Amino acid sequence: MRFLDLLRLIFGNLSRRKARVALTAIGVVIGTAAVVILVSLAIGLQRNANEQLYGIGDLTQIQVMPSFGEGPVMVGPGGGGDGGGGGSSQTRLLTNQALEELRAIPGVEWVSPREFLMAGGMVRYRKLEGWVTIIGVDVKDLASLGMEAAQGDTALGRSIIVIGPMVANNFYDPRLRPGQEPPPPPDLYDQQIQFIVSKWDAQGNETRKNLSLRVTGVLKETRSESDWTIYMPLEQVKALNEWAQNRRINYNKEGYSQVIVKVRDVNQVLDIADQITEMGFQAYTPQSFVQGINNFYIILQVIFGGVGAIALLVAAIGIANTMAMSILERTREIGLMKAVGATNRNVLAIFLGEASGIGFLGGLGGVLIGWLAGQVINVMAVVYLSNQAGQQGGIPPSVAVYTPVWLPVFALIFSTLVGMFSGLYPALRAATMIPVMALKYE
Amino acid sequence: MNQPFIRVSGLKKYYQMGGTTVRALDGVDLEIEPHSFTVVMGPSGSGKSTLLYLLGGLDRPTAGEIWVDGQSLNDVDENSLALFRRRTIGFVFQSFNLIPSMTARENVAFPMQFAGANPRKRDEQADFLLKQVGLGDRASHRPTELSGGQQQRVAIARALVNDPKLILADEPTGNLDTASGAAIMQLLSDLHRSGRTVLVVTHDARMTRFATRQIYLLDGRVVSEAEYQSAVLEVASPA
Repeated sequence: MRFLDLLRLIFGNLSRRKARVALTAIGVVIGTAAVVILVSLAIGLQRNANEQLYGIGDLTQIQVMPSFGEGPVMVGPGGGGDGGGGGSSQTRLLTNQALEELRAIPGVEWVSPREFLMAGGMVRYRKLEGWVTIIGVDVKDLASLGMEAAQGDTALGRSIIVIGPMVANNFYDPRLRPGQEPPPPPDLYDQQIQFIVSKWDAQGNETRKNLSLRVTGVLKETRSESDWTIYMPLEQVKALNEWAQNRRINYNKEGYSQVIVKVRDVNQVLDIADQITEMGFQAYTPQSFVQGINNFYIILQVIFGGVGAIALLVAAIGIANTMAMSILERTREIGLMKAVGATNRNVLAIFLGEASGIGFLGGLGGVLIGWLAGQVINVMAVVYLSNQAGQQGGIPPSVAVYTPVWLPVFALIFSTLVGMFSGLYPALRAATMIPVMALKYE
Repeated sequence: MNQPFIRVSGLKKYYQMGGTTVRALDGVDLEIEPHSFTVVMGPSGSGKSTLLYLLGGLDRPTAGEIWVDGQSLNDVDENSLALFRRRTIGFVFQSFNLIPSMTARENVAFPMQFAGANPRKRDEQADFLLKQVGLGDRASHRPTELSGGQQQRVAIARALVNDPKLILADEPTGNLDTASGAAIMQLLSDLHRSGRTVLVVTHDARMTRFATRQIYLLDGRVVSEAEYQSAVLEVASPA
């Protein structure tokens, strides 16, 4: 029997019993719609959470820090990585050689060392003062580290700095009297700020160094370390550290305090972080946290999908009942089919096809209704959540219910399979009927 | 002498009904020549329909052997029996067994679907056969729009659609008025004259006019015409 003839026969038979097919399919419509809406909701929640988490930092970056064995390491002047209390065999420092090893890991896009200012540093703008974190980075433009500017640009130069959006909040008026209103955070963009670095000798005498820095860019808020940081060229921070420590620092021996490893594919981040840990360094990535969150949402999707599947199970019983009734009513027709040469397989295919057809039609309706309902919920929920975010602060969600392309396709295939399995027993009964008994059935 | 088209040997068919064994056929032996028109006569319950269904491969015997067109029906699986029915047999039933939702053309073409014929060929063949049975202008009508005689003619056209060698008809005039019944008899006779082997099960004595051979069944056994007539007369006048 030709496949097209089989399809035509199946849909012809279904259209003969429109009302019954429609009533049976309604169960499948409800079940499929429930699966689509609930799983879309779980996926929407996951995307929302990921959007918020992606704000924490670039998930393709791994922070790598040196490992000092089991105890803390004190690196003295001229000392190497093997100094201090850590077990020398487990100490790995971020030397230039180590950086090359990190660059050689497949999937790594770039490796960039960072250095913190290891001295007391205070910033001053007009009559305001503040304490800040200063990080030196080995790039000419922060854009190459994935950072974006909210004001100005991200290019760095000698005494040309880019600051995080929250840096201005660290400024205070030292002459402020109790009860006085604190001044609002200053707008530091395109301003000159004074940076005072201090060091103390063995007798406790302070030596200060004044630098005048130009703020040429303010970064976009990411709710991460960069919000509170002043970025300077690496060489300038190195020079300040050497000035503060009164010695020349050999980075080939002592290594950098931190290195950022950028990974090409977000899916490789955890593998590469593991490799870095195996190499003896400390690796931190927010990806492991995100993965934990994602695992939770996958479980949520399965639970939500399961709730919808229960509705589909009820619908499956309806299909089985409809098919059993249909086969009883059409017993003589089955006998005739066999008399004119239909094989058991032909009969099985026809009745399985009809059951699958009910599942398919119900699934189609369910997918359509589920998708439409998802869109309506989405519009309403996004408006509501945006208002909430506006009132309480935070990032407004871009989506509440998200239906990926695979979900309707999966739901349609699943509902068709549910139909097919529901029709299996009645169809087998039809296929194995003795022709003469079927023809004589009253 | 021709090889028999149908050969039946020691054929038995027993049913269990409410704890008792019904001997529908109880040791039938017969041979039927090719291109013959055989009428099987017998009262209700004589086993004639059972014989027809067994010859058509719609049922399995309790004992005995059946050969049709040189093929034994005893040791074949369900699939082979279905192919045998598709290729060799055309059935005509008392109650027509047309599918109500299909037009006359679709009903006639229906068996060809299982043979995998393409739709154009199916429609051409159905239209040709409907013309042959005098219903060329009724091809698009559904069974409910046709008279009993017309429905049986559609059923005969359907029986012919796969060009079978053997036509098995079970009381083909049983549900028809006298005129329609006569027309159906004539049609079956025409099929015989065109070279097909026809076996009709009936208790309509008019059918014997067209028959080349008559077989009489009583209580599941083949009997002579004399035995049959005396039994029928006995039933008609029990005193």
